[in-house]
Amino acid sequence: MPMEYALKEVWTGVAVIAVMFALFYYIGWWSSKKTASEDDFYAAGFSIGPVTNGLSMAATWASLATFLGVIALILKLQVPFVYLWIQWAISIPLLTLLYGTSLRRMKAFTPGTFIKARYGNGATLVIAGWMMLIMVMYALGQMIGLGQAFEILFGVPYNTGLIVAGLATLGFITMGGMYGASYNAAFQMIIMILAMIVPMGVIMKKMGASGWWFPPLAYGDMVPEMLKAIPTFFDMKYDYRWYFALIPAFTLGPVALPHLAMRVFTSSSIKSARWAMFWFAVFLGTLFTGCYTAGFAGNFFTATTGAKIAKPDQILLIMNVYYNPGLIAAFVIGGAMAAGLSTVGGNLMAIAGLMGNDLLGVLAPNMDKRAKMKWGYVTLGASGLIAILLAFKPPAFLVTSILWAFGLLATTVSPGILLGVWWKEANKLALMISSIVCGIIYIVISPHVLPSICIGKGIVAALGMSGGLVTVPLSFALFILGSLSFNRIGALSAWAPTLEDRKVIDRIHGWGADYDEKRYNNNTWAIAAAVVCIGITYWGLQPWA
Amino acid sequence: MKEKLYKKEVWITVVFTVLLMLMGHFAQIFVIFPGLKGGRLWGFPVEYIVPILMGWFGLAIVCLIQTVVCNKFDDELDEFVKSQKPEQVTVKTGKG
Repeated sequence: MPMEYALKEVWTGVAVIAVMFALFYYIGWWSSKKTASEDDFYAAGFSIGPVTNGLSMAATWASLATFLGVIALILKLQVPFVYLWIQWAISIPLLTLLYGTSLRRMKAFTPGTFIKARYGNGATLVIAGWMMLIMVMYALGQMIGLGQAFEILFGVPYNTGLIVAGLATLGFITMGGMYGASYNAAFQMIIMILAMIVPMGVIMKKMGASGWWFPPLAYGDMVPEMLKAIPTFFDMKYDYRWYFALIPAFTLGPVALPHLAMRVFTSSSIKSARWAMFWFAVFLGTLFTGCYTAGFAGNFFTATTGAKIAKPDQILLIMNVYYNPGLIAAFVIGGAMAAGLSTVGGNLMAIAGLMGNDLLGVLAPNMDKRAKMKWGYVTLGASGLIAILLAFKPPAFLVTSILWAFGLLATTVSPGILLGVWWKEANKLALMISSIVCGIIYIVISPHVLPSICIGKGIVAALGMSGGLVTVPLSFALFILGSLSFNRIGALSAWAPTLEDRKVIDRIHGWGADYDEKRYNNNTWAIAAAVVCIGITYWGLQPWA
Repeated sequence: MKEKLYKKEVWITVVFTVLLMLMGHFAQIFVIFPGLKGGRLWGFPVEYIVPILMGWFGLAIVCLIQTVVCNKFDDELDEFVKSQKPEQVTVKTGKG
């Protein structure tokens, strides 16, 4: 009989989840009283301190996948997937370093605010459109996971679980705006760490690890037994290109994730944003390392007990039911739900910011701030409802893989933000062309839409690694070379960066009124980067083993 | 002075970008230099545990240093800006 998760003490589970939601609603209600302006609604009044923000950043990044999907994928790919997961942790530090503090200096609500200031309305429609598509995919994935969590916890049909979990979630997120999303996320991160680490200690002890008192790192004495059970577990199974492809596909995409960037923008100051990044690394590292332990334990459990796991996503829950009391197992699923809730909160706030602030700023520039904030609330609620409705019968394309969507973001959005902040020559038309063309190429060469036109195969193609290795550098190269060309064609002068556009760059780097044309204007490095990118694109086009 | 500050900003950004990438992608070192594999640390193969440690403690240490260095640089830049003629800093709303 295949093993599936089944919590016998259903009412214990109900009680744990009810208490958690009561606390989330209380925080949402308390936060709603602080929300009086656009600054409050989109950026928590630029007031979140470093430790709280570090917790919120980690919670926003750690999604349901941390408790469900990743452990299943470690079962499938073993240690290489651990390597894939480790690099997620550099996203917010990299984002903070490369553009987060600059955009915080201009008091941006979303990266779209910068795109509008730097490139104008046309580019904002393109870039914000891509970001919204990816945020909807992300939120949809979390909604599906929340529905499934209710399904397996309470034994109710998926649709019922989806409606209850979805609406309950939407309620407290919409109520609290960014204040609520921030404080709730911080609280949810504490739940996540406890739910991941403490029960794993008990599991590791029962599995025979002498270092059960510190599950993240002290299970080395189980390695010989693991190697007997699964001799290939620690093998680095792939060639160098596989590991390199993690950079364009999975590092450069999350750098542009609007819900992560928005966490940086909520900081009480630029210096506070940097301290938050440090705390983020500490908290997320703790959770992720616990997650790798769970992946190790999951492999060990299946190999040594001979259990056939019908739904690998449930392996953490199965181990908890197997080794721990019902109350602990219910708390673990509560931790998984907290992971989903904090991420969906960030996703919906990003959609609200992109729509209510950036797109409405383009479509209805004269709308007053109060009306824009109301539209923000409406968008927040509506986008959540859309995610719930889509989750009833999700289009296969949208749920294929959120990991795949990171490559799409790296292709379409990251070049515009990174080059926009660091290079004065970045041209509006070149951005739109490179973003649209390379975004379409990325979709076409993936196996999800036109399987007959695909670069790479198997999981490498499905996760967007092979596609990203082609289109991300191509997008950078096209943007750079397009900018250099278009800026020198008289007929296209309307798209060239104006003096005011270039001044934006100096200001957001902190130079105040001091403007210097030579700063952030090195074309030699830009051309060198384009040449390297073309080389990487060519490398990406070579057949995959 | 401002030329020196600009160069410093670029160098800080390049160095910490490289360090962050190294912390997140440390496994690549073991692919590029396979001779480093085979050792043991706390019972684990080094190619497993070292990338994990780099992605947690290594990253936290880099972030700590980055925070201190970048915040100090901000102070220097602020001092320079204050020494210039004061002017309102605004951001253009832009048109396509």
